[in-house]
Amino acid sequence: MPVLNKHYRRYGFESDLEKALNRVDFFRIFHTMALRYGFEHFGVLQLANEHETSMLSSRLVLHDLPAGLAETYDKRHRINDSAIFKSFYKSTISTVWLGTDAPENGAAGVDFLDQIGFDMALAIPVHSIAGTRYVVLFLGDGEDIGRTEHLEIAYEANCAFDYFYRQVLANKAGMGLTPRETEILRWISYGKTASEIALIVSVSEHTVNSHTATILKKLDVVNRTQMVAKAIREQIIQ
Amino acid sequence: MTAKVHILLVDDDPAENVILSALMRKVASYAITLDYVETVEGALDFIRSSGVPLDMILMDNRLQPQADFRETVPELRRVGYIGPIGVISSSINDAYFQKIDDYGVDFRIDKAELDPTAIEFILQEYVKRDVSAGE
Repeated sequence: MPVLNKHYRRYGFESDLEKALNRVDFFRIFHTMALRYGFEHFGVLQLANEHETSMLSSRLVLHDLPAGLAETYDKRHRINDSAIFKSFYKSTISTVWLGTDAPENGAAGVDFLDQIGFDMALAIPVHSIAGTRYVVLFLGDGEDIGRTEHLEIAYEANCAFDYFYRQVLANKAGMGLTPRETEILRWISYGKTASEIALIVSVSEHTVNSHTATILKKLDVVNRTQMVAKAIREQIIQ
Repeated sequence: MTAKVHILLVDDDPAENVILSALMRKVASYAITLDYVETVEGALDFIRSSGVPLDMILMDNRLQPQADFRETVPELRRVGYIGPIGVISSSINDAYFQKIDDYGVDFRIDKAELDPTAIEFILQEYVKRDVSAGE
């Protein structure tokens, strides 16, 4: 993604980001970042309107929490009621949360850390180039984080999120199709199913489906029929 | 209920099978069956003969006599495998790793980064089978 010039890129960890292609790559980047700073887990949360009811599980756009943890949390608690969640709407400063000082941060009994089962959290509010808000959350059982480490991880999380947004989350509507996407579009127009296209093009069915989803987005259409009709109208295929 | 998944590991070093088997046992939310073959030939035979559907193939980047995934993965695709394929390597920094999609690879992961959490994430991402929440 040769979008950024060297003024944006500092301190030598950007080479990994430049090369990241898909969600697995960003998972690796955030996951190792969490471990490097003594946390166990990370989660990237998308923020909506404060008063809209949010489920932790549906707000997490990428995370490495144990399977089912967010869903279990949602069954028992409301993330909207937690002091940490409310803090995202009061300030955009990166904050450290420790299990023991939760009561002084919010109403009694509303303790996100105790509810989710960790001793420490670091919440780094970030935003996309489109202005939408997200939080990179790190969770672990550490005691505290030093000033230098805090500043470093906040900067790194901001950079990683920026690449993650541009490479994965951004709705790339209106942009041109890649050769591979055009190829898949053509097979769809011949009436082939995803598994048939996977065989023809020599990729996995998963890849075909993710290309199809991208084509839908780029052409701003809602289904495969409209996709093919629009592609013909726009003369992308004959 | 833990979801059952079936993975094939292709690696010329049997030690990797031992290590990966141990890692797979630590993944709580999936019951993983790991099959192991040493060569691409072995993998091709496995795909052709085995009646069990394979949920995923993990393969070492460098397998003799082929050079790297650019030669090995297309062979697996040619025999009709359309499940996800991940390439494991001890370094994924070479420029050709940017072109995984052109060769039918779904994802790449560094050996050092492969831990139970990463395996769980990959299964969630590529093997569409619902793990019921925390039960």
